[in-house]
Amino acid sequence: MLELAGLSLDYPGFAARYDLVIPPGALCAVIGPSGGGKTTLLHAIAGFERPTAGTLRFAGADLLPLTPARRPVSILFQDHNLFPHLTAAENVALGLKPSLRLDDSERERVAAALAEVDLAGFAARRPAELSGGQRQRVALARALLRGKPLMLLDEPFGALDPGLRREMIERVDALRREHGLTVLMTLHTPEEAASHADLFALVRDGHVEASGPWARLTASDGPEPVRRFLGI
Amino acid sequence: MFRPATLTALAILALAGASLAGLAGAGGNVAALSSLGPYLARLVAGATVQAGLSMLLSILLGTALALALLRRRFPGRNLLLAVLTAAAVAPTIVIVFGVIAIYGRSGLLGDLARAVGAEPPAIYGLQGILIAHVLMNMPLVTRTLLQAFGREPGERRRLASALGFSAADCFRHLDWPVIRREAPALATFVFLLCFTSFAVVLSLGGGPANATLEVAIYEAVRFEADFARAAALAGLQLVLCLGLATALATLAPAVHDEASAERHAARPDILAPCLLRLDCLVLILATAWIAPPLLSIASGVAAVPTLATAEFAWAAATSAAIALGAGLLACLFAVLLASAARGRRLRPRLPDLAAFTMLGLPPFAFVAGLYVLTRNLADPAALGLMLVPLVNALMALPYAYRLLAPPLATNAERHGRLAESLGIAGWTRLRLVEWPALRAPLAAAFAFATALSLGDFGVIALFGGGELTTLPYLLANRLGAYRMDEAGALALVLVLSAGGLAYLTERWSARHA
Repeated sequence: MLELAGLSLDYPGFAARYDLVIPPGALCAVIGPSGGGKTTLLHAIAGFERPTAGTLRFAGADLLPLTPARRPVSILFQDHNLFPHLTAAENVALGLKPSLRLDDSERERVAAALAEVDLAGFAARRPAELSGGQRQRVALARALLRGKPLMLLDEPFGALDPGLRREMIERVDALRREHGLTVLMTLHTPEEAASHADLFALVRDGHVEASGPWARLTASDGPEPVRRFLGI
Repeated sequence: MFRPATLTALAILALAGASLAGLAGAGGNVAALSSLGPYLARLVAGATVQAGLSMLLSILLGTALALALLRRRFPGRNLLLAVLTAAAVAPTIVIVFGVIAIYGRSGLLGDLARAVGAEPPAIYGLQGILIAHVLMNMPLVTRTLLQAFGREPGERRRLASALGFSAADCFRHLDWPVIRREAPALATFVFLLCFTSFAVVLSLGGGPANATLEVAIYEAVRFEADFARAAALAGLQLVLCLGLATALATLAPAVHDEASAERHAARPDILAPCLLRLDCLVLILATAWIAPPLLSIASGVAAVPTLATAEFAWAAATSAAIALGAGLLACLFAVLLASAARGRRLRPRLPDLAAFTMLGLPPFAFVAGLYVLTRNLADPAALGLMLVPLVNALMALPYAYRLLAPPLATNAERHGRLAESLGIAGWTRLRLVEWPALRAPLAAAFAFATALSLGDFGVIALFGGGELTTLPYLLANRLGAYRMDEAGALALVLVLSAGGLAYLTERWSARHA
């Protein structure tokens, strides 16, 4: 279970305080207006931002003292997930060994991770030779290879076409179920994740204003902030 | 119908061609070149070795400093960056003064050596040239690389943190790709600057053994009136410089500003203790190396009262007139060339070619050719007053064009069709559509061209003397006469003028960005 209790971050002109509980193995879609604090929430969990107060626990363990690399977390950004000078296979291999000195079994694991995202024949290609969707799948393969139980996706499919976006969300959902991952994903178009996400969290002004399953949030007696945000 | 950009490009190319033809017509030919034989080979080999060493040291030291500055935030970092900028934009002759003031026989190191009973260091020769060239070009390398690192998306640094990159991994995957992309063009540019170096080699070279082609052309024209030799040398210089400029144009990476909201993400290697020690060492050594020659200029403040002479006032007025004229002309030419973007062609080849030719054309060959063509039309001082701002403007043109062409091209791409559909053209288009995008880079181009001309001790060395005396010319005279106090005061005036210009431009650009 991922638990955030009073997790606070202070910046000039912006203060955030997050309270949220996500059950193990759940897919939580984080929605909200731009500049509301969605990315800050993910970055705080990943360890890129240093909270000033509060607690952050995953599976009972306190994450706050851990550096980003030691946290049980993989993260995908909207863009720049790959290093342009490395091939797809090398980008995936970074998840195992940043030095890229791999033995045979590690090379096999890299190939298997690429095959799992249907990119078996693309190992030698560089990011510039891949489409947007393929690039994100390479990043996904790396995240899987790292074997971290908590996956954070910061609008990773925002730049893709609607059809491809839906396909990628389905793929993430399938991988989540297969590997038992807990997933937090920020989204601009919540409807696309409605049939996959176990719960939604509306983040505005640095706070989780409402959270729960899609059906409850969008019901006629659902929380007012969510209805206002979705325009229903 | 010819567009203004085409006409301007043709005029510039015609001027360059006429100048070279004038020089060639004065007696230069292949026979003259071959008769120079071993002298010429020695000249080219010496200039190549000197420029190669200068480039290598500038790139290595500049990269080490850029990486240290990239990784560290400390009090005084901005001051060090300002010092780097000052060293990169300071007039060459001022850098020469700083080098002599610290490393010369009567400089700080000389005094220290004498105090401990040792022989003062010899500054004149290859060592002096290398010190001055590295002092000028290492900051350029550092600033350019810092800008390139700054354009990299912060997501990659976040990713490096999440993947647990070591210091070596960070260098391999974050820094090295940027260095590998930028270094070839940067190295070529520094080599080109050092290969065509004039003021440094003339002042610190210590004789013909370390002369460059530029210095040899100057000596042939100024002291021996040997135009045949000058033409032969200029032809060779032109071929070599155009070759280097072609390499530069080929190697220069396209400036790609990848969209990213994560510019300020921290790097994971900043906590590595060995890297912290290395960065501290690099920063201390770099500061100790760059700061003293520049600080020595401040010592000139005591001698400022000695400048209250008619000679100084005349030189200052002449400098200001020439520099402002050159700045205005450079901007005018650059805007006219850049206006080719209005045609919405992907690559305006003729304007590019005109700017590119000026990058490869040796200033002395150019000005000597113009001098030969016009020497019977007016007296040298009057000619100089007209030719110096024109040549300075054309020498600054490639840089001014590089500043102005991209924003005008972007503007044409965004608003060109709308302007055409509304019938907005000519002056009205410049005023209403292009000026908002143009005023900040135009200010930068003007300041750059003016500062370049203000500190020029190249073309003026050919025409200078008598009534045509500028501040750099006066400074070189004082240095030659070992009147270091007056030289210090003049260097201070030049640096403050260039610095003031840069400061005003910065403010103007910030206000209109």
